[in-house]
Amino acid sequence: MFQGVAGNFERYMSLLSARQKLVASNIANADTPGYRTQDIDFRAEFESAVDGESPATVEPKDLPAKPDGNNVNLDREARLLAENALRFSIASSFARADLSTIRTALQEGKTS
Amino acid sequence: MSLLSALSVSASGMSAQRQRTELLVENLANSDTTRTPEGGPYRRKDVVFTSDPSAAQFSSLFESEANGNSGVGVRVAEVVTDTREPEKRYVPGHPDADQEGYVAFPRVNPAEDMVDLLGASRNYAANVSAISAVKDMIQKSLDLFR
Repeated sequence: MFQGVAGNFERYMSLLSARQKLVASNIANADTPGYRTQDIDFRAEFESAVDGESPATVEPKDLPAKPDGNNVNLDREARLLAENALRFSIASSFARADLSTIRTALQEGKTS
Repeated sequence: MSLLSALSVSASGMSAQRQRTELLVENLANSDTTRTPEGGPYRRKDVVFTSDPSAAQFSSLFESEANGNSGVGVRVAEVVTDTREPEKRYVPGHPDADQEGYVAFPRVNPAEDMVDLLGASRNYAANVSAISAVKDMIQKSLDLFR
């Protein structure tokens, strides 16, 4: 019962964390020569996620590289940074609402 | 928890940009320095960044998860000193002038350093935003306990 409630949110949130971490490294390495942008294929990973396995890193296509071989686009990373944080916030609100439903059920069971 | 290591990745970016800024202001401050302990005029310094997987492993002792997608931090690989010939300016009467009256001045282009300084400061700010976004996410997961 709890697996059904929390399982999907947990997978979604841990994928978001993994992606946010890659965004953080992309931003940190925005001036590193030869560094390539890293990302995860979110949809594919979410649909095929196996518990306990960390998602595979892919290099996004169509990002123009600077002359030093670096292809970090700060605008793209800034957008992803905000998007991930918002998605995470939404997911955690839903998870919290679900958990509070269960809590209510437990409380009611106790009093009667 | 992988979000906590994202914090150390961003912190490594901040510290790398800070070191770069320190060198850039040193260049600007010394753009007219004709004497140095090594002898000769001041030489422009710059940093070379390299990505550094170890910066993300701050909490690796507590994590047993596979490192397949661990974020990579950044660090200063080396500080390079400009090896170009110093710029000769005709200033007869200057204590450091040679026989013909030419003084060797550092080859520092203030415009170049100011632009790099802007870049370093923007990148520092981007890392700070990343930290605050990640901090928000951590806070949101902590709120689930309430």
